[in-house]
Amino acid sequence: MSGTDAGPPDVDLGRVWLGVAAQVWRREPGWAERAAGRLLRSPGLARALVTTPSLLLGWLIATPVVLVAGVLATLGTGTPYVPLLAPAVAAAGIAYAYGPGIDPAWELSRSMAVSDRMVLLVRAVAVFGLNAALGLAASAASGAAAALTFGWLVPMTAVCCLALAAATLARSANIGVAAGMSGWVITVLAGQAAAGRLTAVITDSSLILPYLAFAACCGAVAAYATRIPRGTS
Amino acid sequence: MDDDELIAAVAGGDDGALRELFSRHAPWLAARLRAVLPAAEVEDALQETFLAVWQGAGGYQWARPGDAAGGWLWGIARRQAALLLRRRGPAAVVLPAVLTPGGQQAGDPAEAALARADLDQAVAALGPAGGPEREVWRLLYLEDRPVAEVAQLLGVPAGTVKSRAHRARRLLRGALRGGPAAGGGKR
Amino acid sequence: MNVELTDLTRRFGRTTAVSGVTLEVGPGVFGLLGPNGAGKTSLLRMMATVIPPTSGRLRLLGRDPGSYAPRREVRRRLGYLPQSLGYYPGFTVAEFVEYFALLKDMPPGRVPAAVAAAIERVGLGDRPRAKLRTLSGGMLRRAGIAQAIVNEPELLLLDEPTAGLDPEQRVAFRGLLRDFGQRATVIVSTHLVEDVGAACTQVALMEQGRIVFHGTPAELTARGEGSGAAGDAPLERGYSAVLAAARSVTAARA
Repeated sequence: MSGTDAGPPDVDLGRVWLGVAAQVWRREPGWAERAAGRLLRSPGLARALVTTPSLLLGWLIATPVVLVAGVLATLGTGTPYVPLLAPAVAAAGIAYAYGPGIDPAWELSRSMAVSDRMVLLVRAVAVFGLNAALGLAASAASGAAAALTFGWLVPMTAVCCLALAAATLARSANIGVAAGMSGWVITVLAGQAAAGRLTAVITDSSLILPYLAFAACCGAVAAYATRIPRGTS
Repeated sequence: MDDDELIAAVAGGDDGALRELFSRHAPWLAARLRAVLPAAEVEDALQETFLAVWQGAGGYQWARPGDAAGGWLWGIARRQAALLLRRRGPAAVVLPAVLTPGGQQAGDPAEAALARADLDQAVAALGPAGGPEREVWRLLYLEDRPVAEVAQLLGVPAGTVKSRAHRARRLLRGALRGGPAAGGGKR
Repeated sequence: MNVELTDLTRRFGRTTAVSGVTLEVGPGVFGLLGPNGAGKTSLLRMMATVIPPTSGRLRLLGRDPGSYAPRREVRRRLGYLPQSLGYYPGFTVAEFVEYFALLKDMPPGRVPAAVAAAIERVGLGDRPRAKLRTLSGGMLRRAGIAQAIVNEPELLLLDEPTAGLDPEQRVAFRGLLRDFGQRATVIVSTHLVEDVGAACTQVALMEQGRIVFHGTPAELTARGEGSGAAGDAPLERGYSAVLAAARSVTAARA
């Protein structure tokens, strides 16, 4: 404490102030953070989760907005936009859940007891789950057929893994977004060229295994990329 | 910023103002409390006091004359100290309880101890023992003598006795209202 | 011994950043000196478990950080301030310190008091709710020091901690080092020689990945006497003398 009279010599005013400051400065976690803390059995992991850039309020609002636009467009034109949009949106969200691209304190995070890979895993799962739930709701609301409503979940997994692999390899969230988006656009257009429909890549069930295999490979790449740390100073 | 502005800022959620309030007032509050409580409990009482200030600054009324902020703070500190004393039981009361004029024990030893501490501070505000205001107060109020007799004992005119008595009452009033200027730091 | 390094080496591709370092450090303040590129940061990163060694043995706080569980235990008792620490601009000082306190597995009940103590300790008690983007370089550095000390670490690693601090703050910081050095191992890497002399009980000098001197500041000063080496202060002269000797040995070998 800044020096003034010290008061009685056996009274530790510095300690008293710290007791006051602890209560005055403390941050109370919200209900989502407390629930996540109990679920994950780690208050640190819960805090990292709720500070995920792509789970912040701006993002949580933007994602449904994009999907609602897709719903409206579908209802208007008949083209099922939601299944086409959802994977791209999810990929962007996954990429922005990641570290060095948007985590300036990445080096410090690597020295933490709650490991940065655990944080990435939890964040990626949370973003994916949220996008899947929102996407399903939007898909059902746009009245698409069952094959379309669920069919895009597998391509979405593949595209998200691609975005994650690219982001962790290049250590940049933006590259992850670019890779995910462009990968998906190319896939959709190739499907249209081959089968004449935009939604070919979603409804063709023979593609499921290739998608999942691709997703697994990308997952392995991401795991490898997060194991090798950044190099020289 | 003066004390009133600081308390207004605290009411508005400014924790820096609370810190400034603490560094200004905690020392003399601690000294006052130390007269009634052991050191460890002074720390507890002070901590509770400033947490109460943080939560209750909105209830402070600004339109009071004199050293209102100090008095308000001492009022909170007093309540916290009394709470502590009651919780820990009569053995924790450091000073003996003040006897009422009829000779019985005062109802609440905690309040009594704090009243005694207040009174000691107030009397100290009258100046050193043997000084003019202190003597007048002793003769006129404690020993209950008439003005004429006091004037004769002190060897001064009656008017002087009356004006000293007036000054003594004013000093006592100010001291009992509380605040660092009212003898908090003087020993 | 809190830190035991045996023949520790770290390579990046064809570059060898740290070469065969053997060191034992107990409680106290340990200064790591050396020019830029000497390998100090890589050595500190290995001790902070940020990167694994390429070869050699590393034991921290009596544990082997090669496996997950002991590494986690070490990290709970570790405080690390990297040379360049990025900040979350939207966080306040208190949020920043609290975030890393939680990531160090501190029990949530203890966190508010620990955060308050750390913030006051580094002299940021007048602005705990200030957003990091509003702080100067020196204040950001102090916020970084606060997150490093918040969990009362047994091993405190500081890489260029005094960058941006004015002389008065440096004096306060040295007091902080001494306080922590009573119970913990504090390793400070710096290229500011005078910072080291005042607070450190032991000093090591690194050059091209190797330790070329290990002893007390007084011994380092003694190496500079009568050597005609460059430097305005005795410790600086010792530093220059040791470096010059090391470089001539390297040149002779080549």
